Amino acid sequence: MIEIDSLYFKYPMAKDNILKNINLKIGLGEAVAIMGSNGSGKTTLIKHFNGLLKPNEGSVKVFGKDTRDESVAFLSKRVGLVFQNSGHQIFSDTVWNELAFALKNFNLEEEVINKRVKWALEFFNLTQYKDTSPLLLSGGEKKRLCLASVLAWNPDYVILDEPTVGQDFLQKEKLREVIKMLITQNKSVIIVSHDVEFVWLLQPRSVLLSNGEVVKDDKCINVFKDKDSLERCEIINPQFVELQEELSTLISSPPIDVLESRAVLLNLFKEDT
Amino acid sequence: METLAPPIQFIDFSFSYLGSSAPILKNINLEINEGEFVLLVGPSGCGKSTLLRCVNGLIPHLYNGVYQGKVIVDGEIVSEKSVSELATKVGFVFQNPENQIFMFTVEKDIVFGLENIRVDREEISRRISWVLKTLNIEHLKDRAPYELSDGQKQRVAIAGTLVMNPKILILDEPTSLLDPRTAYDFILTLKRLNKELGITVIVVEHRIDLLTNVADRIVVMDNGKIMHDGPLRDIIKLKDLYLYGVSVPPIIALQNSLSESQIKLPNFCLNVKDFAKMVKEEVSSK
Amino acid sequence: MFWLAQGLIYRSQKSPFHSLDPRIKLFFSIMLFSLSLLSGTILEFIVILSIILLIGLVSKVIKRMAKTIVFSASFLVLIFIIDILVGYSILFSVIVCLRFVSVVSSSSIFFLTTSPDELELVMKTFRLPYDLIFAFVTAVRFVPVIMLDALQILDSQKSRGLEIEKGNIMKRIRNYLPVLVPLIVQSIIRSEELAEAMESRAYGFSKKKTSYYSLHLRKRDYLASVLCLIFIIQFIILVYFLHI
Repeated sequence: MIEIDSLYFKYPMAKDNILKNINLKIGLGEAVAIMGSNGSGKTTLIKHFNGLLKPNEGSVKVFGKDTRDESVAFLSKRVGLVFQNSGHQIFSDTVWNELAFALKNFNLEEEVINKRVKWALEFFNLTQYKDTSPLLLSGGEKKRLCLASVLAWNPDYVILDEPTVGQDFLQKEKLREVIKMLITQNKSVIIVSHDVEFVWLLQPRSVLLSNGEVVKDDKCINVFKDKDSLERCEIINPQFVELQEELSTLISSPPIDVLESRAVLLNLFKEDT
Repeated sequence: METLAPPIQFIDFSFSYLGSSAPILKNINLEINEGEFVLLVGPSGCGKSTLLRCVNGLIPHLYNGVYQGKVIVDGEIVSEKSVSELATKVGFVFQNPENQIFMFTVEKDIVFGLENIRVDREEISRRISWVLKTLNIEHLKDRAPYELSDGQKQRVAIAGTLVMNPKILILDEPTSLLDPRTAYDFILTLKRLNKELGITVIVVEHRIDLLTNVADRIVVMDNGKIMHDGPLRDIIKLKDLYLYGVSVPPIIALQNSLSESQIKLPNFCLNVKDFAKMVKEEVSSK
Repeated sequence: MFWLAQGLIYRSQKSPFHSLDPRIKLFFSIMLFSLSLLSGTILEFIVILSIILLIGLVSKVIKRMAKTIVFSASFLVLIFIIDILVGYSILFSVIVCLRFVSVVSSSSIFFLTTSPDELELVMKTFRLPYDLIFAFVTAVRFVPVIMLDALQILDSQKSRGLEIEKGNIMKRIRNYLPVLVPLIVQSIIRSEELAEAMESRAYGFSKKKTSYYSLHLRKRDYLASVLCLIFIIQFIILVYFLHI
């Protein structure tokens, strides 16, 4: 359980608070999307989840422990953070070592490390690269490697910062599957994303941030009904939401995916024959 | 009547990077006409970024390799001209906003290219005013790069190339690091330059939902070859696009799916508003 | 180290001295620097340091100059002690220390009051090779960017359990590898991207370039130069009379 209580935060040299009065509780087995315009504080917020940043006022508790009392290394064992830029992370001589890095830092036994690295290699289709330098992988493969190296230590919370940037269609599909799998394993996945279409398909709990404050925290469908909040956070509509708005007299609820929207439209035309 | 040669021509062109056994581009034949707005897509590693770099000469001049066939830009053979010489014909905007701005202020950065090609001072002055106005960045003239947002930086990047008066503008995933709204504004700016100044635009992008209303033509690449090439309106209907890593916008995927059903809709719409209007008309006409 | 750097980093400010043409500021600095090297008596140094103090006050950089001197105090004490031990007189050792202070503060006057833009123009005036000038500009432009990269890399690796502070000296050195390697790789990638962008904007088209920006001497620059010359002449006269 991650509990954020009246969190206020500003960077040391700054004048104003970048996060204001954040109250948030995220349990296990939840899919959460954090959205908002640039500068709304999304990345600053997620850095509080594993203790990289500590609150000025209020508190952040992870499994009951206040993040101010624990080291980032300790908190990271249960809260895994995957940053946007894979170039900021990759440094090992082989893919195997890259995957094992965190596991070694957490002082896991060698048997466990071997097992987990093997699992990560297979699951992410990286086995053929296990002895290759990670720097030789393509951009998409590097991103996969970064995700794999965090999932390797099996954290309860997986936080992804803009995971769909630069990814093509098939890579995004795979990512969606991974997220769904993690939820079924009672892990929580928190994604910070601009990609409204990706979020819409996932239908996670959605948290909107504007200017450091939580403007909305609700089911995906409800959040995308709240036009004022979306406007305030500079978030564009997913196409199916826009479609339902344009055809509000004909369609009551926005369809989630192509299959559902096809069924809805076929129904519309059948009604009249 | 004499027809003008298309400004960009690839003739039986192949290229392998130095040290690589397999060619990254295989026997490419491509013609791009003046004033076209072309979207270039394909999975990672298909050669699209390489193709772009062959147009302004970065290949073969900055990147060595095995170069076969011809690339002709605005009547000149690319391999026989230096990148600097081609810079007045072809402008190139890269993916990372940060690494394209070298100087301490926006104005100084825009002047950079013009000083290099030895344009005289009065002309530089005229062109700066023009480009700042055209791209709506007059208020950013004296700002330092670290004071700019990513969207602003990308505009400054275009300004720095546009000021050299190129007829062709090439962009390699220019919006991938921008949020959707900023990305959309950026694409609209490109369309404006294309329509108002007649500049030929070639964009490599993954996010084609931004470009469905803007690009005339789409070229799909895979494994170094051109798989599809034609009007966007036609190619976007193809069922196998997802194999090439192309994220087909939901409204288009929907219409593709409906085309297989008994429902026959009169038009194929590229955006939600047009589609909704069409559906309303169809339903009310029944 | 940090405080030494304070004496060299330009910060934007307005003062009569800042607004002088950078070549004139350079002239002042070089003049004071040279006179510091040539001086040999306490009186000469008092004169030089007074001028430096005056310029420091006029240009409002006196605080940072003072910080640099104060924090290199330990170094000064070391110089003094070594000179005494080697056998020089107390007077001579004091003069050596004064010379150090003069030399450092006269150079820092230039760097504290001259922006990187102005430095670039000065380098162009002296017809330094453009590649060198461009390398300098790029370095200044990207140092903050690289520093930001380093912080982000550190965040990434800490989130993977890296504890930079822990362990013996060997372990600590090894702990820097996960930070240094990505930093170096990113810098190399950055320079490749820069090279592509530079070439695409016609860098290297011709050895000669248009100079859109140039330095112009104005009334205040001529005035300052005259003041400087007057000072030099009077200083020479002073020295002459001291040594007769």
